[in-house]
Amino acid sequence: MIDNPVLRIIAKIIIPMILLFALYVQFHGDFGPGGGFQAGVIFAAGFILYGLVFGTESLRSAVPPAVLRLLIAVGLALFAGVGVITMLAGSDYLAYNALSEDPIAGQHLGILVVEFGVGVTVSAVMITIFLAFAGRNDP
Amino acid sequence: MTLTVTLIALLVTMAFALIRAIKGPTVYDRILASNALGTKTVLMIAVLGFVVGDPELYIDIALMYVLIGFIGTVAVLKVSEFGNLGQPQSHTDAEDT
Repeated sequence: MIDNPVLRIIAKIIIPMILLFALYVQFHGDFGPGGGFQAGVIFAAGFILYGLVFGTESLRSAVPPAVLRLLIAVGLALFAGVGVITMLAGSDYLAYNALSEDPIAGQHLGILVVEFGVGVTVSAVMITIFLAFAGRNDP
Repeated sequence: MTLTVTLIALLVTMAFALIRAIKGPTVYDRILASNALGTKTVLMIAVLGFVVGDPELYIDIALMYVLIGFIGTVAVLKVSEFGNLGQPQSHTDAEDT
């Protein structure tokens, strides 16, 4: 599909917009529709479009599977780490109020970090699933 | 009132597109019909935002729908043409193998 100029150019134009929109959904999720899971899926959709147009080989060199596996673990560790930090601060697991002096600021910070962890893990898992299915005939 | 009429008109157009997508003799008829159905869905979401009175929220959803719909169309076209999702192979490559 790389020999199709329309598709190639459109993909190059639209992929940055998809990634930007994913970040918007991620960090605007408190006020509009969205959140970590949705943003992760949209972010992965940008990479999946790249893989569709330029082939899974190019996608693998853009995001190596080792990096993807690391990102899955890092996102999960962020999520669990926030819970452990609130426990160390003397409160319950994932009780965001303990993150800051001001309970509302603590809630904001906790939700932002946890949603970011969810987004990282979900996007990495989605790209891994796409590579596992679409790239199964690769050498 | 105008918005409700627009919604009903969009739903009728979507029904026609759906009929073509189900009946369509060739694969390209079906892809074209489902693509038109997706476009009508985006329009319907946008109009629905104004009906409900919260356009900003629904515009976000419509934008996301159009992005995902584009990727879905590309994926369906690729599978129907090459039979796989992975390789960036050209048409001549597909005929060789």
